[in-house]
Order: sequence, then structure tokens, then C-alpha cells
Amino acid sequence: MDNPFKLLIIDDDEHVLATLDDFLRDKAYDVISASDGLDGLKFLESDKQGFDLVITDLIMPQISGMSLISIIKEKFPDTPVIAITGWGEYPGAFAIESQADKVLSKPFELSELDKAIKELISSKKHKIQD
Amino acid sequence: MATPLIGTSENIERIRELIYHVADTGLHVIITGESGVGKEVVAQNLYDKSPRKGNPFIKVNCAALPDGLLESELFGFERGAFTGADRKKRGKFELAHEGVIFLDEIGDMSLLLQSKLLHVLQGGEFAPLGSEKEVITDAWVIAATNQELEQKVKKGLFREDLFYRLNAIKIYIAPLRNRPEDIPLLIDYYIEKYFFQFDKKRIPKPDPDAMEKLMAYSWPGNVRELQNVLKTSMVIGDWEEIIHDLNLKNQSATVRRTEELALKGASIVDVLLDFKGDYSSDQASFSLKTVTKKATDRIEKEVISFVLDKTGWNRTNASKILKISYKTLLYKINDLNIKKPQR
Repeated sequence: MDNPFKLLIIDDDEHVLATLDDFLRDKAYDVISASDGLDGLKFLESDKQGFDLVITDLIMPQISGMSLISIIKEKFPDTPVIAITGWGEYPGAFAIESQADKVLSKPFELSELDKAIKELISSKKHKIQD
Repeated sequence: MATPLIGTSENIERIRELIYHVADTGLHVIITGESGVGKEVVAQNLYDKSPRKGNPFIKVNCAALPDGLLESELFGFERGAFTGADRKKRGKFELAHEGVIFLDEIGDMSLLLQSKLLHVLQGGEFAPLGSEKEVITDAWVIAATNQELEQKVKKGLFREDLFYRLNAIKIYIAPLRNRPEDIPLLIDYYIEKYFFQFDKKRIPKPDPDAMEKLMAYSWPGNVRELQNVLKTSMVIGDWEEIIHDLNLKNQSATVRRTEELALKGASIVDVLLDFKGDYSSDQASFSLKTVTKKATDRIEKEVISFVLDKTGWNRTNASKILKISYKTLLYKINDLNIKKPQR
């Protein structure tokens, strides 16, 4: 791919982060990984070109995924966000309230994630063209 | 002007960064840490760096007031709302409109008030006592606690939905004993502050040997204890004597902690032996075999639940990790009554 899409993944679980990072690199995406919400926010604010999509866990120390989604939707409204949630009914509900574009409940199939990424990036491109 | 955040430890540097990045978002914040670490200082720094600076900063201690009084403090009341309400009173939420309401000791708030607070956090509206009209508030809620709210949620003492609402931004302040490199800077700061506060009376600065001892001390009362020690040093003036007193106090606290741990250890034995159940401590004998079985079951249940949780209840993976057959795992899940958590 000449111009790979740039993704930001944020998860405080090292194992999940490494798995997603490996999988998405294999799919030829340009991937940046952050191990908590604050580092994720710092990448978002410092990266001039911006990200094509963000994937974030919800329950994290310091800045929760729900808050991060609210901040992204406020400061980077064109960036689609996929929320991944582990347990309990509230985080997923808050993620939707924070306007996450897609919520995936763990455990999910990696192919499901890949499909969601493709759909959201393609719909973002259409919106920009319109 | 808020008291600055003093320190170069990783914990304090991280808090500074967090404040810089979130102070303008208006997202609710919860500040956690032991008593005396400076939770209010962090709240004031958030306010100071936010666009709300200059608007009211209102502090409410949720542990200091009985439930009814706290409710009327927070939400206000109409004239005649209850006996003695001879005039209307505006609540702190209304007064903090476009500013900050700092809810200290939030872990002590009753379930009833928690539900009222949740209502405010969800829609920014509340009704004062005795009023049918809702009041709108745009107060930024910064809460603080020295309690483990996750544990209170598990015990049903704190609402789970409120917990997640408040945990939008979580700031943890480490105890002073875990960041001794901040101690000399705090001492310098307060020596200077008290010089101006107390008629230009200069506290003698600890020499390197005394400073080393102060950095090695555990500071169970954290920054508040350090402030008190510095005030004491204005009167005593001899750091050797102050450090000697601190260590004496610390030794007796260590003895107390050891005794507490011993007591906790005893209570685990109590649970395993089930003294309160079939095996009264008054009984002369009980079956070692049964006690061992109960203890083993308890451990097995904990370990299997943990692994199932980690594997997202993937039983095939869990049985591989536990090195037992898939069939044995299914049997144990049933036998030990292990329930899948509700999602």
C-alpha cells in the first residue's frame, strides 16, 4: 500500500495492545500504540497529520476511554473511534453516549475489528468527498 | 492563586501533564490518595488552569455533615421546605454554576444522595428541597476520596453508574513514602512559605544528614504531617530531636500495623475453619479432612474464576492454562458453583 492508513490504538493491557498492534501491522496499517489515555491524547495532540482512526479500551487509569472519546469528538470530530469494552453494562453504554462510532465487546474476532476499521475509514472518505 | 504542585517524582510530573491536558475539557474528575497527600491542591490546580478560573470554587466535605444537612447544603431548599426553613437557601451546586464544586470524601456519601448526584451529573439539573422547579447548573465536579471506591461498588455501598461517571478522569496521588525525592523540595517550599506567614521567623533548614533521615521516614500523614513537623521545628529548632520523636512514633505505628496484620491473618483461619458455622471454636474437635477440603475448594474456586475471567470465559483456553481436561473444568465450574459475570 502506497499510503497506509494511520491508526492509534490505546489499551492499558499490554497483551491486548501487542496482539492488536501485530494484527494491524500485518494488515499494512501504520500503527501507533499507547498504553494509557494520557499518552494516547498526547499522540493525538502532537501528530500534525492526524489519525485515520482510533481504537481505544474503555477502562483505563487516568483518562478513561469514555473521556478520551469525548475529547476526540470535540477536538478531532472527523476521526472515527472504535471502543473495545471488557465487562459491565455501563462502559459500553457510556461509550455510545460519548459518540463512539463502533463498540466491540471482548472477546471479539480480529476479523470483526478489521471489518469495522474498513467500514469506518471508507465512510469517513465518503463524507470528506461529499 | 493555588498552592503549586511541588515535586519532581514521576507521579507528580504525570499529574502535572494530566492537568495540562484535561483542565479545559470540563470532564468530571476523581482524585484519590491517602489522607494528607494534597488532593485539594490538585483540585485547585485543575481549576487554576481551566477556563473556569475566576468563577466560584466551592468545597463541600461530604463526611462532615449528616445526610439531611448535606442534601440541603448541596441542593438548597425553599422557604417552608422543612421545620426551621424560614428562608430560601441556594445550594452549593447552584452557587458553583460555571465554576467548580469540590466534593471531598465522596466515598462517605449515602446511596440516596449518590442517586441525586448522579441525576445532576447526567443532566445538570436538580430540584432544591421543597421545590418543584428544577435548577440548571453547569458546575464542574471534582471529587476526592481516600477510599477504594471499586471495593465500595462491589459491596453495594457505592453506585456503579456514578462510579463510572466520576471516573472520567482519575488522578492518583502517591503517598509521600513512595516519592521521597519530593521531600527536600516540599521542605524548601514550606520553609519559604512559613517565613512570610509567621512574622518572618526562619525555620532552620535540615542539614544533609537530617534530610536523609527525613527522606527515609515513612510519613504516614503525608504532606500534612510534613507541614506539622515544619511548624514544630519553628518551636523546637533542633532537627535531631524532631527526627528522634518521629522515629519513636513510627516504631509504635509499626508495632500496631503488625498487630493488625496478625489479627487479619487470624480472621482468614477463621474463615477456612468455618468457626462461625459447623465448627464452633467451643467444640473440642473437628475433621481436618473436611477443613482441608473446604480450603482446597475455596482456593480452586478463586484460581479457576481468575483464569476464566482472564480468558473471557473461553473454557478451552482456561483448561489448557490450568493443565486440566476440558471435562474436569466443566465439572469444577458446576461443582464449585462458579458463575459467569453478567455483561
